[in-house]
Amino acid sequence: MKNEIIVAVQKIDFDLNLEMESLKAKTKKAGAVVFFVGKVRDLEDDKLQYLEIESFEELAKSQIKEICKNAADRWDLEYILVKHRFGRLKLNDNIVLVVTSSKHRKNAYDASVYIMEYLKSNVPFWKKEVANKTQNWVENP
Amino acid sequence: MGKVKLKYFSRIREAIGKPSELLEIKSNNLLDLIEELQSMGEQYSVLKGRDFVVYSAVDQNMVTDLKTSIEGATEIAFFPPMTGG
Repeated sequence: MKNEIIVAVQKIDFDLNLEMESLKAKTKKAGAVVFFVGKVRDLEDDKLQYLEIESFEELAKSQIKEICKNAADRWDLEYILVKHRFGRLKLNDNIVLVVTSSKHRKNAYDASVYIMEYLKSNVPFWKKEVANKTQNWVENP
Repeated sequence: MGKVKLKYFSRIREAIGKPSELLEIKSNNLLDLIEELQSMGEQYSVLKGRDFVVYSAVDQNMVTDLKTSIEGATEIAFFPPMTGG
């Protein structure tokens, strides 16, 4: 299946409705669309003031493109979009959007999980949680 | 080797105290470069990777083998484990 890959590393927010409309205009043969959104969450035992996301923008973009191409090789997808934000974000702000679209749902679901797993530890972003009493660089479990 | 732009991110940037610097370096591979930087000051000891794994990218390509040649490189980046998503 011919696919479209869109990748952005950006400060600005993304609009889920606009992304859906844009996808619809470009995917005629796909019946399944999976949206994954990662957002800023509060801490367990402190109150988050903000989340600072640092990025190595150029490398992040090329690493994300690479994983999208790998996903396109592995699953039959018509559309892959990844937008990852950086900068200072507050509680509940969007961080990352992964959209995958395929003829049937399984490919879109599996590719979404695959891309997100890779994004967690292979793309140069770093999160710092700044709370009332603490400041911590987030570490992967 | 000539002048190379060194970039530092996250905890490494904080430990070294700057996001980047342009330096005249003598080393031909990353391992030697880390040694060379450490001889310049205690702040560079973070690159030894005692507290966390240190990742590097040469001209925006991720490198895992520290013995990889850096001859002709114009930009070398050091950073801690990534936490995207």
